[in-house]
Amino acid sequence: MKILIADDSRVMRQIVTRTLRQAGFDGHDLVEAADGQEAYDAAVAEKPDFILSDWNMPEMTGVEVLRALRAGGVQIPFGFVTSEATQEMRDAAAAAGALFLITKPFTAETFREILDPILG
Amino acid sequence: MTDVMKVDDLQAITEQVWQSFLDPEGSDPLLLSLLEPSGGDVAAAISVTGAWRGHVVIGCSTAASRHAASALLGVPSDEVTEDDISDALGELANVIGGNVKALLPEPCALSLPYVVATAGVRWPAVHEICRLDGMWRDEPIHITVLESTSDYQGAAAS
Repeated sequence: MKILIADDSRVMRQIVTRTLRQAGFDGHDLVEAADGQEAYDAAVAEKPDFILSDWNMPEMTGVEVLRALRAGGVQIPFGFVTSEATQEMRDAAAAAGALFLITKPFTAETFREILDPILG
Repeated sequence: MTDVMKVDDLQAITEQVWQSFLDPEGSDPLLLSLLEPSGGDVAAAISVTGAWRGHVVIGCSTAASRHAASALLGVPSDEVTEDDISDALGELANVIGGNVKALLPEPCALSLPYVVATAGVRWPAVHEICRLDGMWRDEPIHITVLESTSDYQGAAAS
């Protein structure tokens, strides 16, 4: 499975990658994007099977990326990994078509619980 | 508005960050201290605008910032770059700030994090409402929540 990890922090992309491995999701093909525009472009060009995205990013926010993908007919499963999660954000994420919203800091256990139905 | 944030809240958030990202093995906890440690060589901050305005700041020694980048990236300390250190501290400010924001009155917006590699950083027109000081791997760390005392409505407010 090809997974796109979008976060403007290289450190956080590394932590997400490591946590995926610790949660038992080894062997997937990982693609990275360092801002929202890169995430959108990579989603269209690389056609990943799943997208894990930060919310607050330069160029386009994560939810703008999701809305743009859905508006263009791209239905790749999409989940957020973000440092803040108000009810308003959860509602906006769900309305845009996100599967879940994981808040930072997270653990491998959280990843396992939420991602197992998708990646397991 | 000293009620918006208590030191216990900040401690719970900080401990969660340490347990998840900086000390998952439980071998290098942040040891909290009542004494204000010296040595704030580097600071990363994230600003909050809206119904509550201020900053969440994490400051530490240069050595602690290098340890943090090393722990977050999973590479030896002597292999981390200045960019890694800025990224790591900025992300810590972002994660702590995001969790602090959840306790603040809504609506508020978070800025992207910014990092200042200068000793003795001063934040204008603020007062401190919450502070944690501690030692991590024998290096000083301090986390502060600063509330703006000016009437300026930031451009990023929404």
